[in-house]
Amino acid sequence: MSETPNYDSEYDAIVVGAGLAGSTAALTMARDGLDVIMIERGPSPGTKNVFGGVLYTPRIRELTDFDDAPKERYVAKKTYSMLSEEGDETSMSIAPSSWREEPHNNSWMVLRADFDEWFAEQAVEAGAMLVTETTVTDLIKENGEVVGVETDRPDGELRAPMVVLAEGANSLVSEAAGLKDRDDRDNVAVSVKEVRKYDREKLEDRFHIDGDAGLAAHYFGDGACGDAVGGGFLYTNKRTVSIGVVYSIEDAAHDKKTPDEVLEEFKQHPAVAPLVRGGRMVEYSAHAIPEGGPDSMPELVHDGAVIVGDAAGLVLNSGVHLEGTNMAVESGYHAGRAVADALAQGRTDEAALASYETNLRDSYVVENLEHYGWFMDTAAEEKEFLFDDLPRALGRAGDAYFKMDNTPKDEHVSEAKSHILDATGGWLGAAKKAWKFRKMLS
Amino acid sequence: MTDGWNIVVCVKQVPDADDVSIDPETGRLNRSDAEAVMNAPDYNAVEAALELRDEVGGTVTALSMGPPNADAVLRVAVGMGADDGVLLSDPAFGGSDTWPTSLALARAAEELDADVVFGGEETTDSSTGQVPPGIAAHNGWAQLTYVEELESRPEEDKLVAKRDVEGGYERVAAELPVVVAMGFGENDPRPAGLHRKIYAETDFEPETWTAEDLGIEDEVGLAVSPTQVGGMDTADPVPREQEVVDETDELAEQIAEVL
Repeated sequence: MSETPNYDSEYDAIVVGAGLAGSTAALTMARDGLDVIMIERGPSPGTKNVFGGVLYTPRIRELTDFDDAPKERYVAKKTYSMLSEEGDETSMSIAPSSWREEPHNNSWMVLRADFDEWFAEQAVEAGAMLVTETTVTDLIKENGEVVGVETDRPDGELRAPMVVLAEGANSLVSEAAGLKDRDDRDNVAVSVKEVRKYDREKLEDRFHIDGDAGLAAHYFGDGACGDAVGGGFLYTNKRTVSIGVVYSIEDAAHDKKTPDEVLEEFKQHPAVAPLVRGGRMVEYSAHAIPEGGPDSMPELVHDGAVIVGDAAGLVLNSGVHLEGTNMAVESGYHAGRAVADALAQGRTDEAALASYETNLRDSYVVENLEHYGWFMDTAAEEKEFLFDDLPRALGRAGDAYFKMDNTPKDEHVSEAKSHILDATGGWLGAAKKAWKFRKMLS
Repeated sequence: MTDGWNIVVCVKQVPDADDVSIDPETGRLNRSDAEAVMNAPDYNAVEAALELRDEVGGTVTALSMGPPNADAVLRVAVGMGADDGVLLSDPAFGGSDTWPTSLALARAAEELDADVVFGGEETTDSSTGQVPPGIAAHNGWAQLTYVEELESRPEEDKLVAKRDVEGGYERVAAELPVVVAMGFGENDPRPAGLHRKIYAETDFEPETWTAEDLGIEDEVGLAVSPTQVGGMDTADPVPREQEVVDETDELAEQIAEVL
């Protein structure tokens, strides 16, 4: 065979995974003049990635010509609905007129197989190399320092001064190399999602949307995902609808229902069924989501390596805010800059890379995680109230409040009140609960 | 021969069959969403070429005809272990059917002084299986098609093939130069080594030859292609009867009845 060059030390940095965090890090480093190689296990970037559907884009807009990116619809309207098991729905919708104006609150529905491929291309155009269909299986360490990666290919070791670990939620490499503890089961959520295809006109009529406008719908309560801490979601794309459930793996492990059965029940809820009727399923996927909050973040910086994105546990679920992609991008950006700065000084040690962690802590990413870190714990503590009693009480209260019969409205109001107060445990209980959840909207 | 054989392997870029759909109204293939990939049966051809080189020595050169970006399939072959790659790329080749295509590949194989030319069983985008025999015909070389296994006899300048034929197999010995169409799935294509893959996708640059380089500029293209597509039809699926029987004997009876 003609001679094969050896590429050890030919690259300044190896990026493990070409998802949002990995490609942002690669793009940032390549723009800084570094030689970067991204190693992606899928046949193309995005094929292995799963998320609900909304990409938050402020940093991506700064880094790329976002107008050219493959997008589906911007979020023109958000709805939050409480669903009870019995079929009640109580909902609220928000559609500020400003969301219809550029830049559409930087919230776009995208399909990852399209978007991530395009985004990785931006890194390649900036000079990064992308190798696909190659799985990193372990890190090479010497004297405690990460000096390269092992892959599943023959002749599969590659050495470089820096490794950026952007391997996603199921971070087997970081764990195997001892850079991160395995996530506790109660810090991980499972998501099952299907994408259904419709005629575009039919889809726009069904959801009352037009042009590039779209709907992001969130559902809570045990009508959404059974007897578990979690919820359901529905996002409209151009010609498809993404519908899924996300709930704690701890609950999934104890539940008699499998995640696909939970999704099926959600789809059959009377509030949801008409929205997803017909069409054709074109994609079905499941994934893990790290929802441990700030306490379960691993050490982000190591000698010769940094951890970014989902692998670093950077996902926010406050009940109202469901974010991850923006934090993945932000972490990739700060990591890329820190690596470039350290290498400019000829260093790869933890201390030289510390600015990554500092900048991330100073950014909204860690601040938001800390601010909302209480939510998942409180939701778990108050599971029965939040997911079972409250949705039912709201349904009954609504029923009572608007009841048409031959009694005066006064009686309707007091019946409605009593449904709510039963669920909260009286006025005192209601006050306690309100206090407990006050931070949800602050 | 002491310095081994000159082995050429033909590879083709095709739309990924998983992404190709049929427009139910026009009956035409919709390839616009499909990723360009290497024709799946060609992986078996490359593997066979590399195995042969491991046995007899020499070199493996990947050969393709297509637009400039078809160099991607040469990079796949070089990643797996081919030594070099040549791309036949020229607007003059546009619209060529299997006749001028196999002519161009035959001339290139001659130019490369090939002892053995490998091809896949057929391509997933046109499924004719005509190109490897066409190369042999244009050059007046021997051909071995639907090959399951190969045995090299370098001291005799012969290649022996176990060929799949209806009802069994046959063994055929051919003198070099010979064109081999490997059966689909008959071997286990090797994965590219990591460093080789990086080399193939970055530093490796294939040669590009034009129709004029091969002296066939007037013998290729749509105008000299003898086949024409007359039209397209989609066949409606035939409803099949289904029946569940309780006893195996009953099933046997029914089968016997039909037979």
